[in-house]
Amino acid sequence: MSGILFGERELRGIAERALRAAKGDQAEALVIGRTGSLTRFANSAIHQNVTSREADLRVRVVVGTRRATATTNRLDDEGIRRAAELASDLARRAPEDPTFPGLPAPRVIPSSPSAYVEKTAEATPLDRARAVKTMCDSATAVRLIAAGFVSTNVQEIAVASTLGTWAYAPETFAEAQIAAIGDDGSAFAQRVSMDVTSLDVNGAAAEAVGKATIAQHPRDLAPGTYEVVLAPYAVRDMVGFLGLQLNGLAIEEGRSFVGGKIGRSVTGPITLVEDPYDSRSIPRAFDFEGQPSDRVTLIEKGVARGVVYDSVTAHRGKVENTGHATPFLIQPAPMHMRLEAGDKTRDQLVAGVKKGVLVTRFWYTRWVHQLRTIVTGMTRDGTFAILDGEIVHPVKNFRFTQSYHEALGGVRGISKDLSLLMTGEQFGLMTSAQRVPALHLAAFTFTGSTRY
Amino acid sequence: MKNGRLDAVDRSDSFGFGVRAMADGAWGFAASQIVTAQEADRVGALAVEIAKASALTKKRDATLAPVDPVRATYETPMDFDPFAMSFDDRIKLLMNAEVRMRERKGLRTTRAAYAVWREDKLFMSSEGADITQRLTEVGGGIAAEAVGNGELQIRTYPDGLRYQNAGGWEILTRWDLIGNAERVADEAVALLSAKPCPQDAITTVILSGNQLSLQCHESCGHPIELDRALGSEAAFAGTSFLTPDKLGTFRYGSSQVNIRIDATSEGGLGTFGFDDEGVPASEGWAVKDGIFVGYLMSRETAAALGTRSNGTMRADGWARVPIIRMTNVSVMPGSAGTLDDLVADTDDGILMDTNRSWSIDDKRFNFQFGTEIGWEIKKGKRRDMVRNPTYTGLTPEFWGSCDAICSESEWVMWGTPNCGKGQPGQGAHTGHGAAPARFRDVRVGVIK
Repeated sequence: MSGILFGERELRGIAERALRAAKGDQAEALVIGRTGSLTRFANSAIHQNVTSREADLRVRVVVGTRRATATTNRLDDEGIRRAAELASDLARRAPEDPTFPGLPAPRVIPSSPSAYVEKTAEATPLDRARAVKTMCDSATAVRLIAAGFVSTNVQEIAVASTLGTWAYAPETFAEAQIAAIGDDGSAFAQRVSMDVTSLDVNGAAAEAVGKATIAQHPRDLAPGTYEVVLAPYAVRDMVGFLGLQLNGLAIEEGRSFVGGKIGRSVTGPITLVEDPYDSRSIPRAFDFEGQPSDRVTLIEKGVARGVVYDSVTAHRGKVENTGHATPFLIQPAPMHMRLEAGDKTRDQLVAGVKKGVLVTRFWYTRWVHQLRTIVTGMTRDGTFAILDGEIVHPVKNFRFTQSYHEALGGVRGISKDLSLLMTGEQFGLMTSAQRVPALHLAAFTFTGSTRY
Repeated sequence: MKNGRLDAVDRSDSFGFGVRAMADGAWGFAASQIVTAQEADRVGALAVEIAKASALTKKRDATLAPVDPVRATYETPMDFDPFAMSFDDRIKLLMNAEVRMRERKGLRTTRAAYAVWREDKLFMSSEGADITQRLTEVGGGIAAEAVGNGELQIRTYPDGLRYQNAGGWEILTRWDLIGNAERVADEAVALLSAKPCPQDAITTVILSGNQLSLQCHESCGHPIELDRALGSEAAFAGTSFLTPDKLGTFRYGSSQVNIRIDATSEGGLGTFGFDDEGVPASEGWAVKDGIFVGYLMSRETAAALGTRSNGTMRADGWARVPIIRMTNVSVMPGSAGTLDDLVADTDDGILMDTNRSWSIDDKRFNFQFGTEIGWEIKKGKRRDMVRNPTYTGLTPEFWGSCDAICSESEWVMWGTPNCGKGQPGQGAHTGHGAAPARFRDVRVGVIK
């Protein structure tokens, strides 16, 4: 397979050499290979154009209840041996952790749809440059400036342990982002696909350019609480933040809004699922401990139903491991969330607003109060006033300070189409894909504004 | 360490090379971890192929400001090499501090962490540069978390578990982690029942030095990046309200405000010998007497302004292309004495300490920050503790309201080891010296 760094046989060989070199009661090897190529443009011209081949080995060694990890990208015999010995040495010196259950025993990994498309792996610099040119030409034709990127990515994940775990999967994805920028206003669009040949570059360009032409000369609108229609880019941010709390560690540390509320209503009538087998996402049937990943209903029609776990948090919480360990093993996470679709078109969502705001995208969002899921951030690249169901004019960008789950308490409409978006770069690879709709919410609080 | 046990121990290394090539007037970059002559030939050719593809959308040839190629070496000065110490000696400091925090009842979680970091790099250019550098950094801290009354409160020392400086193990031992553990724990618990920050009020705010350092990072360091000002980050990190037409004339802050760009500052995370274009470390002003006077520049962006680079191009390792990053962008000390002196000189306001939440718009204009803790100031005295303190404003108005900055005795080189920028994403380590400072007529309290 071209574009792939190693292939299953090579990665298995690396993992097995690491496990043999480890000196402990148990050992685990995670090998990640990736080729990332990204062509970046600004001022309607390519200014950064990069490709890199990278692969890393992480060795985790367990001695009793002590454990440590070492990571290296030196994958010759000497490099592998050195990493395994380092982890072994550190594990022997580490303090005991009576709550550590040891490595998880191997379990059968169900089959899942393939996430690998050869043509994405084979994409060339010229392919990406041509896609960029398409987007730049669309903007230039209406006297706008284009900025953004086109990327094609290949990544392989392999996990092995001395207990017999073996899991391997190759993945590809392509992504296009564009901001179309005028003298006094901008708009944004994004597309993601496993298959570069179906990456809708023209659609992204049309969306950003079309929206940017009506985004010029934004007017002041007083901050306050408004009905909102959120494009999927903004909804993705909300889902991402809530996902940070829908895991066993957040429950354990007392920082989750669903802590003690499983079975109780926490939002309006939305359904949020973690679905690693969604063929329209970037499916992956196992986690970074090589455990099978379960489908988990996180919120069902507004009622909290569950959270995800890795082996350690499941053991401490005395529940089943759902198979959601992340590469750094810091905390488990849902990595394939889907906010279920509704029955409205996006135009119908806008048509349902009496007086409100259409938000394209959130920017620089950060926790203000985790337990109440209060987040602050800015709107960006396409914010509009809505009056009597019509977009009437662009408005200057707002700062918001809003509880995300409380905002989802007032869901008035959900679009019937979902957008595939990606976030969560960890360990040099993208770990999380989300499919989300546009939303019409009854109330969203903007606490300030800026001057553009 | 977490809750009296080891939560994670990891050692990571990465080795490889990257080639940035200009061909047909456009840029290409390729990188590989296979460090052989054959692979170097392949990667070099690939970088050229990519550059030629970039030329498909070229409007003009890329132009570089001149630099004198040199053969040189640089090494971070240090007293105690952290890599020469045993793991046992390093972990002992954390365990002792963590135990001290856990003696306090009422905590949900305690944490203690350290990080030691080293980068060895060789920069060579077809212009003749041959530069070897070894950069070493150490950081760490302690944190206590308490949960109750619908609140999750956190206190850390010295700066949110992300304190880091360039140098050796002496960086961590100069902070009294063990001596401050009990106070940190007490404050985390006390915050659960502290009074909330006044809502939507206009008042005087005194920021601690570590909070001022992040305020500087976000609202000065980023907007003075010339690549942003010229549009290169428009779709992601954003642009800048500090456009080139404002250079030398725009009033950024009050006359108290002097902000320095200095890649030679002792201990700064942006301290080095040469940047990743082979330009020597330099020093100069970003803001002088309140006026915006200087950008962070690369060779290409400097050429656009008709000047020379001040050496701020840095890559996040061998697999990333260098981009403009902050070096050490520091708010210089004033003459307001100690923090106690500044509080004593303040009739009414809030003292806010140690960042907990930060956000700023894509032109670096509208910001909102939250800190771990605050105290009311009444008639020159620090009074009641305040929980969930937040403040918000517009960058030039905020810095324009600065009327006092503490003296050099309070000035500390803080650091931001997790600054994100670029696509693919790159993390940078940046330094920010700061002392406590006072700002008038600030909007505080944005959550009910």
